[in-house]
Amino acid sequence: MKKAQQEAYKRDYAQAKKEGKPFFPYAIYKDHIVAILCFAWIIGMAIWHRVEVGRPIYEATTDFVPRPEWYFFFLFELLKIFKGDNFLTPVIMATFIVPNVLMALLILTPFIDRSPERRIEKRPFAMAVAIIIFTSLAWLTYKGATSEAPAAGALKFTPSDANTEIAARVIKQEPCLSCHVIGASGGSLGPNLNNIGSQGKGVQWHIDHLKNPSSKVPGSAMPAFAALSEPDLKALATVMDGMGTKYKVD
Amino acid sequence: MTTKDIGPKGPAGQVADGAVDYVEDRTGAKTGISWFLFRNIPKETSWFQTLGFAAMAVFGLQAITGIVLAMYYKPAPDAAYASIQHITHDVTWGWLVRGMHKWGATAMIVLVFLHMGRVFLFGSYKYPRELTWVTGAILLILTMFMGLTGYLLVWDEKAYWATVVAMNITASAPILGPFVADIMRAGSDMNPDTLSRFYSIHMLVIPGGIATFIGLHMFLVAKLGISEPPWSKRSYKARYEAEAAARAAARARAPQGRREVTAAPAAPVANAEVER
Ligand code: HEC
Ligand code: HEM
Repeated sequence: MKKAQQEAYKRDYAQAKKEGKPFFPYAIYKDHIVAILCFAWIIGMAIWHRVEVGRPIYEATTDFVPRPEWYFFFLFELLKIFKGDNFLTPVIMATFIVPNVLMALLILTPFIDRSPERRIEKRPFAMAVAIIIFTSLAWLTYKGATSEAPAAGALKFTPSDANTEIAARVIKQEPCLSCHVIGASGGSLGPNLNNIGSQGKGVQWHIDHLKNPSSKVPGSAMPAFAALSEPDLKALATVMDGMGTKYKVD
Repeated sequence: MTTKDIGPKGPAGQVADGAVDYVEDRTGAKTGISWFLFRNIPKETSWFQTLGFAAMAVFGLQAITGIVLAMYYKPAPDAAYASIQHITHDVTWGWLVRGMHKWGATAMIVLVFLHMGRVFLFGSYKYPRELTWVTGAILLILTMFMGLTGYLLVWDEKAYWATVVAMNITASAPILGPFVADIMRAGSDMNPDTLSRFYSIHMLVIPGGIATFIGLHMFLVAKLGISEPPWSKRSYKARYEAEAAARAAARARAPQGRREVTAAPAAPVANAEVER
């Protein structure tokens, strides 16, 4: 906005204020009506939709979706879009680039849009941005709300050997399936692991990845499993490195 | 404000007046409060301009229900889950207070987003309210962090693993990311101290930040005045009059026979609306 336009705005606003009316009681009564309606909604929801307590942490179950509060669903859904399947979908897009670009745009909005026009029907670009951001957030939130928990069940590897026995046990006691499809079911936060061995990354790569995922995949959201014993890690990594090539799951 | 004289005040009234004068003399509170309450705002304000106040009111409610929950909650990994169950099943009205805190969080997020949407659609972030928007954007981020830190406190498996993921996402940010994540987790992994740290961040650090920024935000809103909806009748009329004056001036300046050709004015429609 140019200096003259700023001054014109100030003059116009001063006039609006002069012709206006006092905040108390003319605006504050509306504020209180809406606030009281919100309180009533909150109490009503608390009564009709009792809050639950989920299962405790240390029960070693795998049939749940690691799910944040609904207003973070869109972030987790981004992880499912950018899960590093190819160079167009690097993990770092979902964990860093998209959220931070959005945050920067949010803070900088007044410095980006500096035209004096305030009527939304005369601001088609602003309107388009608002619609795009709103619909994509709504869509991602909806997808997050409807994602389903994987079914728990024992995994059967073929061929089965000492390594797959250990892997099946570890996968059952750790929440791998909450985030990964292995066999027929699993979560979709991380990539499907049924074919992960065909990338030929090597056993040592998988050991390092399990111990500290972000050392191998920048921006990885996968938790570190450094607490697993060396033999367990080695067996699990061997199986991971052979998934789809040496080992199959049914 | 003028009041009718109904005779001398009784002793209680005199004491009250004295107290008000005493405080006014030392703080200017009376002047400040009456300036805040009785300052003029534009005549035509919209119901959508109540959403910021509603968000603030719900924040107040969250503070109250949060204080009650803190009286029963135990931020230790081996006790947190049981204390949540205790609140939900045993404490008198505990389920109600917990439910209100949980639904209140949802209401606050929704209200803050709606409020931001209205500020955006009204163009209220434009000069001179740019910094009001910036303090608001910081409030939005702080409010989201309330949700993130509060969620872990229930200490159930869904929340636990979701927080693991969220902390890894935080840690993946360059430069500051790993430090922020380590500070929040009290280490490079989730550990027994993580829970009490989240508790302290959730109930002391972020609420303090939100209260501070609400103060700044409200100061700016009161100082600059709430914006007038862009389609108010007054502004249509003012705009039409300005345009008409500009046309008249241009006509007067132009020599006879070489009058400036201007597009047919669109404003009379709006003006008709004004006069209705
Ligand atoms: C909380 C969610 C989560 C859990 C639990 C989880 N992972 Fe992951 N995993 C991810 C995400 C997200 C990625 C993609 C980023 C990456 O590659 O690190 C991933 C990637 C992987 C990859 C592919 C690495 C590559 O790029 O080739 C393997 C193999 C893997 N995980 C194995 C496991 C195993 C085994 C477990 C259980 C011990 C497990 N994961 C548990 C989220 C998870
Ligand atoms: C905790 C969250 C917030 C609270 C409690 C809050 C509170 C308020 C209140 C009470 C007002 C007065 C007018 C109204 O109610 O509409 C206001 C105005 C304003 N808010 Fe917020 N707000 C919050 C978040 C935000 C956010 C996220 C933004 C934008 C990024 C924002 C930007 C603004 C602006 C620019 C104004 C001035 C609008 C005008 O003058 O018309 N606020 N806020």
